[in-house]
Amino acid sequence: MFFRLLMESFRRQRRRKALAGLAILLGTTAVTAMLALATTIGDHIHQELAAYGANIVVYPAADQLEVKVGGVDVKPVSGGAYLKESDLAKLRGIFWANNITGVSPELPLHLTGKTSAGADVDANATGLWFDHSLSNGGGPALKTGSVAMHPWWKIDGRWPAEKATSADSTEAVVGTSLASHLNLKAGDSIQTAGRTLHITGIVSTGDTTDQQVLLPLNAAQQIAGIPDAIRRVEISARTKPEDSFARKDPDSLSPKMREIWYCRPYANSIAYQIREVIPGARAEQVRRVEQSEGNVLKRISGLMWFISAAALLAAGFAVSAAMATAILERQAEIGLMRSLGASKGAVALLFYTEAGLLALFAGGLGYLAGSGLAAWLGARIFTESGPVQIGTLLIPVLFPVVIALALGVAIAGSTPAIRRALTSDPSAILRASA
Amino acid sequence: MSRMSMSAILFRSLIHRRARCLSALIALTVSAAVATALLTLYADLDSKLHREFRSFGANIVITAADTSKGLPADALTQVHAAAGADAQAAEFAYAVATTDRGTPVVVAGTDFDAVKKLNSSWQADAWPAGSEAANAALLGQRAAQFVADEHNVQLTFSGHPITLHGVGRLHTGGDEDSRIYLPLAALTAWTGAAPSVIEVQVPGDARKIEATIARLQQVMPSTKVEPVRQLVEGESRIVDKTHALMYGAVLLIALTVAVSVLATLSASVLERRRDFALMKALGGSQTTLMLLFLLEALTLALGGVVAGYVLGSAAALAISQLNFHTATLPRLGVLPLVLLLNLVIATLASFFPVRVLRGLEPAALLKGE
Repeated sequence: MFFRLLMESFRRQRRRKALAGLAILLGTTAVTAMLALATTIGDHIHQELAAYGANIVVYPAADQLEVKVGGVDVKPVSGGAYLKESDLAKLRGIFWANNITGVSPELPLHLTGKTSAGADVDANATGLWFDHSLSNGGGPALKTGSVAMHPWWKIDGRWPAEKATSADSTEAVVGTSLASHLNLKAGDSIQTAGRTLHITGIVSTGDTTDQQVLLPLNAAQQIAGIPDAIRRVEISARTKPEDSFARKDPDSLSPKMREIWYCRPYANSIAYQIREVIPGARAEQVRRVEQSEGNVLKRISGLMWFISAAALLAAGFAVSAAMATAILERQAEIGLMRSLGASKGAVALLFYTEAGLLALFAGGLGYLAGSGLAAWLGARIFTESGPVQIGTLLIPVLFPVVIALALGVAIAGSTPAIRRALTSDPSAILRASA
Repeated sequence: MSRMSMSAILFRSLIHRRARCLSALIALTVSAAVATALLTLYADLDSKLHREFRSFGANIVITAADTSKGLPADALTQVHAAAGADAQAAEFAYAVATTDRGTPVVVAGTDFDAVKKLNSSWQADAWPAGSEAANAALLGQRAAQFVADEHNVQLTFSGHPITLHGVGRLHTGGDEDSRIYLPLAALTAWTGAAPSVIEVQVPGDARKIEATIARLQQVMPSTKVEPVRQLVEGESRIVDKTHALMYGAVLLIALTVAVSVLATLSASVLERRRDFALMKALGGSQTTLMLLFLLEALTLALGGVVAGYVLGSAAALAISQLNFHTATLPRLGVLPLVLLLNLVIATLASFFPVRVLRGLEPAALLKGE
């Protein structure tokens, strides 16, 4: 009998069920979408913040003091210490390897030579990775390099390919200031140290790099005669904003606390792990980028959580109002059931089961719609994140949360109306509606 | 039906069906409150976010166009006048000195208070303050390793020695780590170097920064005013994207609330099929009845806007206080939009079911089909 009542109620009162169902569907859609956006916003904003450049820099511990004013080396250091390019693959093996999203080693050198038009070239140059795949043998390689790390660099032409480097020729790009000074354009070449630099493009960076020649790292090492050497590495890592625990010196902590410190993705602990794997290196967080990123990230994701809360509140009110409406409309039905001898418990159970079924069904649909909406919004707004994948589209953790919320709100919303209908006298209700 | 009896019907309808009206009023209040809170936050979002980006430091750098001449003497005053009250600026003079261990090091003269305000991300063990500040020095963490005594820093500039009182180390992770900072007056007296760089931080989007650069260039034609490109571009991108995200969220939530309110209100109207039929049987015209429903819904919507505006403004204030640590004051500017939204919802909610009812026969309804 109970199931027949339940079935018939859904079959015959389609309009009323549709209204309450629609409210639950929209509510869960909004809540799922907002929660999904709030949980993934960190990754999106980190990608955007990559525009500010590296947040960790690595240099040789034994390095001499740089004498730089306004980005120009006043007294270029001769000799000095170097790190090994081959050590960088070890970065793929540290505890937080997957949090490292960009690696860009540099080797500065000085170039002298002649352009194809005969002008003298006397310029600083930097050897870089442009599009390099970094792998330590196991696992997928990280495609990285200076181009990805400096999204504000603008190229007219194309970036040099490191594969094109041979014993007597190399591809290179020239900064805008240097190019206009030497009257160079893409397709020209520079003769230097027994090799030809083929200019593939003109780069504009907005800083002192505009006066430099940029060439692949392997070519720079051959020209400078120091194989495997790098001077400095810029690293972009996804980190957790610094708190007071992050500022602690790991060597002063107890082994257990040190373990916890080590296993949190603070910029400090990632820098510590980098020092461990690269011998003779010193890794520092770039405070201007790291501290500000943490700040911006915290504010934006905080805002998203507050909006999610607002969505939750609005959806909660809407769903409970719709449920209450659906039950108040059926007072006559309740009166009839009561006068036919149904106990209060049986009537309440029927209505709660209806609300529950509705919440499960509409909530499930709302979860799917909300996930889709969040993915669509995310892809529309943060275009860099690439094509949407099914695996990242659905966030499984959210499913029970959203369903539980839908159930809770639907049942809580029905309660006052059910109680009111049950406490009033059946005969009075029946007479009023007769 | 006269105008008088119309308002009487309206009044009685609202009073006698208190529970029903209350649930509709709550729904309309929630919709107005959410719309007010989100719109208030949305209107203030850009300036709030730009404030957060201040910690990235200077976004405009002013240098002398002719490096041998240096900046004009009153450059900093001009910058402050041209860039506006909310801009931060600090001037720097540079020289290369030798430490007591014989290592060349860049010494920079500046105003510590201005630098501290400009670069909130710099971490110093202690900032020089008060009376000791005259010959105080802040040592970059790398530079400090090339100095014998970090408290009595002995430096030489072309034969002129100076002893500075080192107050602590500076950690930035940038070029600053390799420098020693001291007060500008001390540096000028010691080396004769005049300020060559002014770093300016202007909060705002790319257009505002462009405008400030143009203004600065105009008042100081002998200088080179340049944006720090990655900061200006990155900031605009992130603010734009957050803005777009917030816009999407506002639309989504507004839609949810609107459709739910629509459902609640139309259920409330449909429930009164009998009233409708009775009035029609007694001679009420179609227009009068629709007007009655509409007025009822609009009255509720108006009540919802008043309560919702107050609640929503309070929520926006609380959210921005908690998240951004600055207050967002209620904005009267959002009121027309909120009012419009609620009135549209209420109008739709009363027209939608009336259209359904129009086709029904009063007799059939009253007999209880």
